[in-house]
Amino acid sequence: MRVVIVDDEKLARSLLFEYLQKHSDVEIVGECANGLEAVKAVTEQKPDLIFLDIQMPRLDGFEVLDLVGHDVNVVFVTAYDKYALRAFDVHAVDYLLKPFSAERLAEALDHARAKIARGERPPVSKLTADARPPGAKVERILIRDGPQVHVISVAKIDYIEAQDDYVAYRSEGKQYLKQQTLNEVEATLDNTRFVRIHRSYILNVDRLTKLELYAKDSHAAILRDGTRLPVSRTGYSRLSALL
Amino acid sequence: MHPILSRGRSLILYLASWSPIAVFITILLSRDGSLSALEAESIAFPMCAVYAFVCLSSWYLCKVTPLKETNIGRIAATFGAASILTSAAWLVAIRMWVVLLDSISIFPGLNDRNTSQTDGLFFLGVLLFILASAVHYLLIAVQESRQAEKRTLELQVFARDAELKTLRAQIDPHFLFNSLNSISALTSQDASGARRMCLLLADFLRRSLQLGVRESIPFGDELKLAESFLDIEKVRFGERLGIDQQVDPDCHSCMVPPLLIQPLIENAVTHGIAPMIEGGTVKIRAARSGSSLEIVLENPFDEEARHAGTGVGLQNVRDRVKRMFGDEGRVDVQRADSRFKVTLRFPCVS
Repeated sequence: MRVVIVDDEKLARSLLFEYLQKHSDVEIVGECANGLEAVKAVTEQKPDLIFLDIQMPRLDGFEVLDLVGHDVNVVFVTAYDKYALRAFDVHAVDYLLKPFSAERLAEALDHARAKIARGERPPVSKLTADARPPGAKVERILIRDGPQVHVISVAKIDYIEAQDDYVAYRSEGKQYLKQQTLNEVEATLDNTRFVRIHRSYILNVDRLTKLELYAKDSHAAILRDGTRLPVSRTGYSRLSALL
Repeated sequence: MHPILSRGRSLILYLASWSPIAVFITILLSRDGSLSALEAESIAFPMCAVYAFVCLSSWYLCKVTPLKETNIGRIAATFGAASILTSAAWLVAIRMWVVLLDSISIFPGLNDRNTSQTDGLFFLGVLLFILASAVHYLLIAVQESRQAEKRTLELQVFARDAELKTLRAQIDPHFLFNSLNSISALTSQDASGARRMCLLLADFLRRSLQLGVRESIPFGDELKLAESFLDIEKVRFGERLGIDQQVDPDCHSCMVPPLLIQPLIENAVTHGIAPMIEGGTVKIRAARSGSSLEIVLENPFDEEARHAGTGVGLQNVRDRVKRMFGDEGRVDVQRADSRFKVTLRFPCVS
C-alpha cells in the first residue's frame, strides 16, 4: 500500500512515519508539509492512501480532499475539530485524534485496506459540506490542473456550466473543469449571489445586464461580456425573486 | 425565634440597656413619697425585665408588616393597637406583682399605698413598645442591606470566576492535543526532548491556572507565561516560528490583568504564523515612557488565508484593559501590509 503523509508539523509527520514503518506492506511515497504539496504528491505518486492533517497553511485538509478525494483514500488526522468529527462519523470516514496510539493507527490501516479492496472513495462533496461550520459559504473555488492548484475567488466567477461528469467554472475568459455535479456546487455557494438559472447553469447575479424574452415562457440572460445563457421557467422565477 | 435570644451576650447587653428605664420608673413611682425607694425599685426592676422580653415580641410584628409593602395607616393601626394592649397587660401584671409583694408580707400595705402610681406608667409602656418596634425596623433594614451587600459581593466573585473560567476554557484544545502529540513523537526519537516538552507544558498550564485566580499580576509574570507558551510552540513549529522579544526590565513590575497578552500571543501564532507555509516571527516589545507602559505585539499574516480569528480574544483584552484602567487604557489594532499589530498603552502601577 502506497501512503502519503500530510502534516505541517515535522514531529507529527515523524510520528506517523515511525508508526507506519512497522507495517511491512506500507510504502511511504511522500511526506508533505502543506496542502499544495499534498495535491502535487497525490498527482505524481498516485498513492492508495493519504494521512491528512486538517489545519494546514494555504489549503486545509478538506480543500485537499476536495481536490484529490476522487483519486485516493483518506484518513484524517486532527487534534480537535468540533464540526469535522461529526461529519466523519456521519460519512464513515476514518480519522485519528492526536495523540493516537500505534494500535489505533493499525486499525485505521485495516479499514483503509478494506476500502481500497472494495474500490471505495471518500464521499468528497458531502463530507466537505458537512465538515464546515454551519452557515459557512464557500469563498473560493479550488481547481486542480495536474499537480497545480488554481484558486478562484467566487467573486471572479461569471457562471458555472454542467458538462457531463464535470462542471466548468467560467472566470475572466477562462474555463476550469472540475469533477463534481452542479447540484453540489449550488449547495455550497451563497444563494443570494449565485442563482441556478437553468438545469445546466448557475449564474453570478452580479454579471447579469438584462433578461430577454426570446420565446414563449423562455428567457435568455445577457451577461456583461455579451454571453447569452438560457433561463428556464423556474430559473426565471428564482431570478425575479432575488432581483 | 428572635435573633437576640440565641445570642447570650447581646441579650445581656439588651437587658442592661433597660436599667436606666428601670431607674427612671423607680423615680416616677417614689416621687410623691407614698412608696419608699426600695419598694419602687422592687416594682420597677422586675417589671422592666418582664417588659423588656414583652417588647421583643414586636420583632414578629415588624416581620409580618414590612415597612416597604404596608401602607402607613395600617402600620399606625397595628402598632397603636399592639402597644395599647401590651401596655395594658403590663399594668395588670404590675398590679398583680404589687398584690403579691403585699400578700407575702415583704412590703405590708403596699397595695393600699399604691393608689394610681403604677397606672401612670401606661403611656410609658405604649411609648417603650413603639420605640422597640422602631428599633426592630431599623435592625431589619440593617440586616437586609447587609444581605444585599453580601449578595452583590457573591455575584461579583461569581462573575469574575465565570470570566476566568471562560478565559481558561479558551486555552486552545488544538494547542494542548498537538503538544501532547509532539511529546508522543519525541518519546522514541528524543527522550530528553520529550521530557523537556512535558515540563514546558506543565509549566505553562500551572502558570495559567495560578495567574488566572489573581486580580492583577506583574507584567513580568504575564510575560513568563507567554514565553513558556512560545517555547512549546517553538517545538511544534520548529524553524517556522521565530520570536523577537525586546522588553525593558523596568516594565516587569507594572501590574496588568492576568492573561492579558496571552490570548494575543496565541492569536499571533494560530492565525498569523501557523497558516503561513514559510512561517514568520512574532515580535514582542514593551517599554516605559514616563508613567505609562506600552506593549506592542506584531506578527505577519497571510492575507489570502481563510484563518480569521473570532475576535473573542481581542475583545476580551479590550474589556479588561478598560475595566482596570478606564479611559487611561488604550488598545489599538493595525492590520496592514500583511502585518497585524496590537498596541496596548496604560498607566504603569506597580
